[in-house]
Amino acid sequence: MSDQNGFEPRIVAFLCNWCTYTGADLAGTSRLQYPPNVRIIRTMCSGAVDPVYVLKPLLDGVDGVLICCCHPGDCHYQTGNYKARRRYVALQQILKAAGFNEDRVWLRWISASEGQRFADTITEMVTSLKELGPNPARQIWAV
Amino acid sequence: MLGLIPVENSNSLDALRGFLRHLLESGLVEALYLPMEIDGGAVVPALVVEPEQVAHANPLAPAMSINGARAVSALTGKRAPARLAVVLRPCELRALIELVKLQQASLEDVTLISLDCPGTFEWTDFIEVQRSGNLDLGAYLDAGSRGEVLASPALRTACQMCTHPIPEKVNIHLRLFGADLSKGIPVELDDGIADLLEMVEADEVNPAGRETIINSLLAKREQARTRELEQMQTRLGADGGFAEVFSSCIRCYNCSTACPVCYCKNCLFRTSAFDHAPEHYLNSAHLKGATRLPGDTILFHLTRLNHMGVSCVSCGMCTSACPSEIPVGVVFSLIGGQVQQVFDYLPGRDVSEPLPLITFQVNEWTEVGEKK
Repeated sequence: MSDQNGFEPRIVAFLCNWCTYTGADLAGTSRLQYPPNVRIIRTMCSGAVDPVYVLKPLLDGVDGVLICCCHPGDCHYQTGNYKARRRYVALQQILKAAGFNEDRVWLRWISASEGQRFADTITEMVTSLKELGPNPARQIWAV
Repeated sequence: MLGLIPVENSNSLDALRGFLRHLLESGLVEALYLPMEIDGGAVVPALVVEPEQVAHANPLAPAMSINGARAVSALTGKRAPARLAVVLRPCELRALIELVKLQQASLEDVTLISLDCPGTFEWTDFIEVQRSGNLDLGAYLDAGSRGEVLASPALRTACQMCTHPIPEKVNIHLRLFGADLSKGIPVELDDGIADLLEMVEADEVNPAGRETIINSLLAKREQARTRELEQMQTRLGADGGFAEVFSSCIRCYNCSTACPVCYCKNCLFRTSAFDHAPEHYLNSAHLKGATRLPGDTILFHLTRLNHMGVSCVSCGMCTSACPSEIPVGVVFSLIGGQVQQVFDYLPGRDVSEPLPLITFQVNEWTEVGEKK
């Protein structure tokens, strides 16, 4: 699993209870293989993921944050994922402007039936974060 | 309708007081929110119901102890309990519009009064010139009406770079720019109000002059703004730039207290959410070798940017309130402005325009959420 330098990215993933959380469960019960680098937090809706929850682990040194939502039009609460999308767009802009690498924060639509898509997303994100290298915030205590 | 408040003996402040007093006496409003002179040289906002008290009003003083939007929020809540007129500077007005959208203030039964704003001094500078008797209000207004500023004290940075000094969509607009304030204060007001006050229609004294003054003022302000923002962009662009800018933050929360649109009734950062068990700090130190106390300073500022950057009206009260002299307002003007641009949103422009983060379109940013 490790790259040459032994760097294993750590990912915090916020999974919507109604879609991706079940999708991740499906990936497990279907015995799909994906890297064990992700720590999952279940949320009731991606619309409830305040930017502060994304920023806190990033500044503490986590290498990537993943927000998973129901596909557009499929939100259990009608519109939470559309609002999450706008908040994500704003967050990306702010991260970029403040000199943080916005590529460490991903948003993906993954439904309850898409276990494979969840496994693929984690694999893809781990590969991408390995290319980016460790989050520099890991070393900075004065934040 | 355009009217003229006649000025006698070149005392435009007295003339304005008379006009405002008339608002109460005519029964147009039952209470007035406006800056008042008090002992000690300060000019602070107050709610006035007694016409005699208006003799102490001074909405022209170049000072802003608070951004009045918060106060008007407190005075109106879901709906003002009486017919209210509020005198606000353009940046206060824009912040108020944002608070209305956040359902924290109401414009129902509220008469909006604003003025062409020549700019304000830092609060401590203002108090100093007041106490030493060195404030020449006439000279400040005279320069202001020509789009110029006094040599000293300097305007607040936010005012120097303010590109929205002219209020929009108000009921009563004091048009200071281009006016000869020793003769009269041109005022644009709703027809209904003009009728009630029995104001006579006046011709624009010098429309071309006003236009020229506004254009040259805006050009100067735009230039100052670009310079400030570019400098900040360079600072933030450096490695660890954001942390460097906020490195001297002492976490007093003055910026969020002074901010008119930092809207949470209970700020997360001032709740027990960040009170941890003693072991937590030790663990945190072990993770990076050391841990700053209080922690999460950068998190605080980044979160504030995410929460209210899109509504930032660039009033600069955060900068004025910062004891560490961090240019908080410039950071928020820069990054907030970029987010506003993404959503094609100008805070305070129109009360009917929804806040970008509580609305959405189905077909926008369709690339988000898909495999890259």
